[in-house]
Amino acid sequence: MASATSRPGDHQGLINQAHLATLGTLVAGVAHELNTPLGAIHSNHDVIERALRRLQDILADEVVTTDELAQVRKIVRAMDGVLATNRIAVERMVKLVDSLGTFGRPDRAERDRVDLREGLEGTLTVLAHALKGIEVVRDLKDIPAIECYPNRLNQVFMNLIHNAVQAMDEGGMLTVRSIPEGDGVRIEIEDTGKGIPPDVIARIFDPGFTTKGRRVGMGLGLAITRQIVDHHGGEISVDSAVGRGTVFRIRLPVRLPGPEAREGGSDEGR
Amino acid sequence: MSEMPQPTVMIVDDEDMVVGAIQSFLELETSYDVLPFTSPEIALETLEERPTHVIVADFMMPGMDGVSFLTRARELRPAATRILLTGYADKQNAIRAINEAGLYAYLEKPWNNEALKLIVRNAAERSRLFEELDRRVGELERANEELAGFRQRLIHAFL
Repeated sequence: MASATSRPGDHQGLINQAHLATLGTLVAGVAHELNTPLGAIHSNHDVIERALRRLQDILADEVVTTDELAQVRKIVRAMDGVLATNRIAVERMVKLVDSLGTFGRPDRAERDRVDLREGLEGTLTVLAHALKGIEVVRDLKDIPAIECYPNRLNQVFMNLIHNAVQAMDEGGMLTVRSIPEGDGVRIEIEDTGKGIPPDVIARIFDPGFTTKGRRVGMGLGLAITRQIVDHHGGEISVDSAVGRGTVFRIRLPVRLPGPEAREGGSDEGR
Repeated sequence: MSEMPQPTVMIVDDEDMVVGAIQSFLELETSYDVLPFTSPEIALETLEERPTHVIVADFMMPGMDGVSFLTRARELRPAATRILLTGYADKQNAIRAINEAGLYAYLEKPWNNEALKLIVRNAAERSRLFEELDRRVGELERANEELAGFRQRLIHAFL
């Protein structure tokens, strides 16, 4: 089993590019997630139009025959189905927008005290399309709300879950854990994917390092992930076995360190 | 010619919204018997018992993908016409699979209702023709057997 722990560093220059990469994943996920409910509503809209035209035709001559009555019954049955489907579709979109709210709300860019399980659930919702064919296990124990920048940590969850999904292109199991630990919390993202080879694992938190090829990413996802965790006074580590899977562990304190504490952390690593 | 029963159309997609929307549309616009399923496994169990003319299945389903499902469906109902529903992102994989599994057509999501109706109608017609062909071949075989019997009797009569 190979493992690595983050070393704090300073790569501010890359942060904007990485935000764009995360934004890309987010937008692709949302577009995909909206596609199904929108497609259903789109089709139903057409069904309603057709139904209305038929009803108008039936009513046009002021006489309703027995045959037409049977048609009306058929239309009513179809409309029942339309309503049931639209209800599900609208609920799905509301849920998606809600989870996006916790994701991208500008006020969440500010520091806040939050329960990280909310962000984990939101991330799973936004990435639901990518998680098809993957068994998702939520092992979410009660954890204290922690002081943090919720948007940033959601970005961390998104990066790690997205990576986990990419490591399991033939299906598998994703386990998301929240565990209270000392004066803080531990979040774990574990996959049963292809794993990270020992010669690679020591470098995965380095900016610009990628095994996915330039077309897939810029190799910034984990560098930024580490940077965000550092800024929260936390620590990220990884254990992996080739062919068995990978687990990322993030430890975060309940209190966000002050600016001085963060600077101190950075010096240590140089 | 015997009275043809209404075609039976099976729809399989893990998203109940997709199944629901297609079901509502077909129920309004056609008089087919529509069988909706969100589980490919349960759909297969039903196929064993119920003659089905057209099977529409989604490509990306957890547990069993649409192509595996439609391949199993062919073993149970060889005369049924099979159609794959695909999302934009899985189009390339889907097309390859369509050729390998010998499917009749694919329909891209989000689908157009008019196109859906046309494809399903043609698929139902195709199944009906297969059934008809099967029936006629059966009739021919029976007629042949009868003829063979006659010949046998004729030969006996003259010998």
